[in-house]
Amino acid sequence: MNARTLKIAATAVVLVGALSGLLYTTLSEGTEYYKKVDEVMADPAAWQGKPMNLHGYVVEKSIFAKPNTLEYRFQVQSNGKVIAARYTGVVPDTFKDGSEVVLKGRLGPNGFDVSPNGVMAKCPSKYEANKTPGTPGI
Amino acid sequence: MPALGTFILLTAFVTCAYAIAASVAGARRRSTRLVESGIGAFYFLAALMTVASAVLVHAFVTGDYSIKYVQRYSDSALPLAYKVASYWGGLDGSIMFWVSLLAIFGSLAVYVNRDRHRELIPYVVSVIAATEMFFIFLMIIHKNPFSTFLTTPPAEGAGLTPLLQNFYMAIHPPSMYVGFVSMTIPFAFGIAALVTGHLDDAWLRAVRRWTMLGWLFLSFGLTLGMLWAYEELGWGGYWMWDPVENAGLLPWFTATAFLHSVRVQEQRGMLRVWNVTLVIVTFFLTIFGTFMTRSGVVQSVHAFGEDRELALLFTIFMVAILTFSFAWVIYRLPLLRSRHELDSFVSREAAFLANNWILLFSAFFVLFATMFPTLSEAVTGERLTVAAPFFNRWMLPIGLVLLTLTGVGPLLAWRKSTGANLVYQLKWPVLSFVVTAVALYALGVRVWSSGLCFALSAMVLGTIVQEFVRGAQVRREASGTDIMTALIGLVGRSKRRYGGYIVHVGIVLMFLGFAGEGFRQEEQALMKVGEQLTVGHFAIRHDALRVTNDAQKQMVTGHVSLFQDGKPLGTLEPAKWYFNKREQEPTTEVAIRRAVTEDVYVVLAGFDASAQTATYTVTINPLVNWIWFGFGIMALGTGIALLPERAFAFATATVPSGATGATTAVLLVCLLLPAVAHAQHLESPEARRTTVARTQLEKDLWRELICMCRTCGRKRIGDFCCAHAAKMRAEVAQLLDQGKTRDEVYQYFITQYGSQEPLGAPIDKGFNRLAWLFPYLVGASGAFAVGFVAVRWSRREHEGAATPPATAEDETLQSRLDDELRDLD
Repeated sequence: MNARTLKIAATAVVLVGALSGLLYTTLSEGTEYYKKVDEVMADPAAWQGKPMNLHGYVVEKSIFAKPNTLEYRFQVQSNGKVIAARYTGVVPDTFKDGSEVVLKGRLGPNGFDVSPNGVMAKCPSKYEANKTPGTPGI
Repeated sequence: MPALGTFILLTAFVTCAYAIAASVAGARRRSTRLVESGIGAFYFLAALMTVASAVLVHAFVTGDYSIKYVQRYSDSALPLAYKVASYWGGLDGSIMFWVSLLAIFGSLAVYVNRDRHRELIPYVVSVIAATEMFFIFLMIIHKNPFSTFLTTPPAEGAGLTPLLQNFYMAIHPPSMYVGFVSMTIPFAFGIAALVTGHLDDAWLRAVRRWTMLGWLFLSFGLTLGMLWAYEELGWGGYWMWDPVENAGLLPWFTATAFLHSVRVQEQRGMLRVWNVTLVIVTFFLTIFGTFMTRSGVVQSVHAFGEDRELALLFTIFMVAILTFSFAWVIYRLPLLRSRHELDSFVSREAAFLANNWILLFSAFFVLFATMFPTLSEAVTGERLTVAAPFFNRWMLPIGLVLLTLTGVGPLLAWRKSTGANLVYQLKWPVLSFVVTAVALYALGVRVWSSGLCFALSAMVLGTIVQEFVRGAQVRREASGTDIMTALIGLVGRSKRRYGGYIVHVGIVLMFLGFAGEGFRQEEQALMKVGEQLTVGHFAIRHDALRVTNDAQKQMVTGHVSLFQDGKPLGTLEPAKWYFNKREQEPTTEVAIRRAVTEDVYVVLAGFDASAQTATYTVTINPLVNWIWFGFGIMALGTGIALLPERAFAFATATVPSGATGATTAVLLVCLLLPAVAHAQHLESPEARRTTVARTQLEKDLWRELICMCRTCGRKRIGDFCCAHAAKMRAEVAQLLDQGKTRDEVYQYFITQYGSQEPLGAPIDKGFNRLAWLFPYLVGASGAFAVGFVAVRWSRREHEGAATPPATAEDETLQSRLDDELRDLD
């Protein structure tokens, strides 16, 4: 019985160890930072080249689309800090001046390079409207 | 009516409390009368919740906008079916819908088992009633769907989100909820068995069917969710590991594990702790899934909004469930001893065990990855996210291992497989695996994951065919009938086993569909009229862009010709729909050309109506239809396994007509779904009207006039922002047809809207300035008259009765007053 318990325990340890090791290594490749524009702009050099989801708001009248192409240049801001972004591809319908966006991509020396299909604009209303901050709970 | 609804909820709450108290007291004092009374209260609860549902549906149908929930999720223009479906469209209603379903299902389960499992019933009643009580409590104190506006109610509803206005909305959520709710019943029986100590296999027999039924509905709901995403959302895929999707998948994993490990307990008396644990975990995961989607702890595209109080209440409930359940499991551990030990790792029970561990690991992994952003923020303060590639990387090998087990497991013998036995059983399946693998390699398939998946699928099919053929042969020799009769008799004799095999066939077909993903191709391009875009064997040509309207929406439709290897295949019409009042959230109407081999999936991603250019995203999705078809087979298999014993008893030699009729009907419904949904994409030809500016003057006017719908944010009518713009464009066209000049058109709109507002830039000419004064005069005198009358009227009555004209400020004041008054009670 004792040897049996030992065997089971050893198998469990090896399995759990192997799986968590695998999980750990794949996680470090698979994860992306979720950052706001001002957090990144506090120290842009530290964030260059790291895969991330950048959260911000499209600066009013900053969207420029090259005619007859799918190339976009625009700026995103949060708390007063601004980053220029480049993107080639299809933008969602809700991508407009002032809309809240999450951009998937990397920070380069000349601004934020958005990866393909990396523009996610938040819907102005979800199934349920978010409560406005400051409204007391019930 | 809303008062009646709230009253019913309060009554239901009290009834719950009574049902719990009476049942537990009755069971402890062995008083049949008390137990019967508890059961009576439990049935009454189902009746109450049905009435409450009827009241809410009635409010939706009649448009009682004094109820906030009704006002927020519907409007008078909504088609009747969606008015009814709005019941579960929002948070408050979906909780009530959940409780109603649970009450009905619970009553059904209690009614069916009331004699056979007499000693368990009181505790089953109290566990289910306690769950209902929690949700009713949530509704009463926090999310009452019947709460009304304290101030003057709006005259019109806000309308249902266009994304929810489709066929799937009517069936996907109910199917998910039925699946979730059915999982409460095994849990209730499990807890009842633990509490009473009747831990023989009787309770398992009572819940097996319920779990299967719940599992079927959960699978159905998940498949419908995939289909919904695929046909309506327009990003070309069906599953993106969104937290809400994962919430439905988690209990599915554990329920699947349970359905397999039940076999081991029945056959060998092993895994007893394990089975109880799986039942508890499955139930916990359904609650956890509800919590995840409803409280906003994870960010998701389709979660309901953030709600901290709800999160807190749910957390308390979940901790209570876990503590209570596992305390009982630990207390009863001596009674849960295994009757046997595992004899060999090459045995069927070992295969089942492996399958269970993998399924449980999948559930754990999906849970971990879904919660990872929240966890990482809590632990390190940095929000880290994981995306679909991470999930796929893990779930792909897991899926392949599971597929292998599906092929090997059924061939292993109980207790221990001998070497000779293994060779005899595995010869043909392994051969089909090898042959398929070599053939695929020779054909040039180089996507290893998909190739492996195909080969493994061949192996599983080989296994299943072998099982059927050998079983039928044995039976034929024994009974001397023909092979078909022998087959049917075989399935009839052990329905669950062979039904299970048919479910496996369905799973294999679904895996084929998933493997097709490996060969997916996607292109996007901005196209002028006449240009072509080639994707793989297919090409599309942009023919035209048309803008049309109907009562509910404006439709921008791209007209596309599809070619395969140069041969024309017909036309496709992807579109964007802009629903009135919801112009900011256009819906994407995907055009799909379905085929057994692959789908061509065309999305109108963007457009410029005046230049007639359009941006298309074209995706080739190979084998995707096998997923839906596979589900049909799965439903058929589950249907066979679910058939009552009697259905086969009278006819082991003939197919029971009623039963197959029912299962075929289910299958047909499943297969017809896409067709029904597809019908939505058709538009009536008379609604189609080309909208291109015909003259330079018209083009100019499109740019100079502004849409007056007050939701577009002062867009030009040439921007095709909404239906109102379309109406204005039609007016412009009509006026120009009458030979009106530019100034006359301006004038028309100025008089119509009473100000210069419709004009993009004010005209600055002497005469026009005078003309502009006129509407202002009219407007000012009108306002003065209204004010005068209002003052006079309010004087005549007493002070409090004065109704000042509603302005924007008053509305905010009203809503604040509303909020504050609500805080008081």
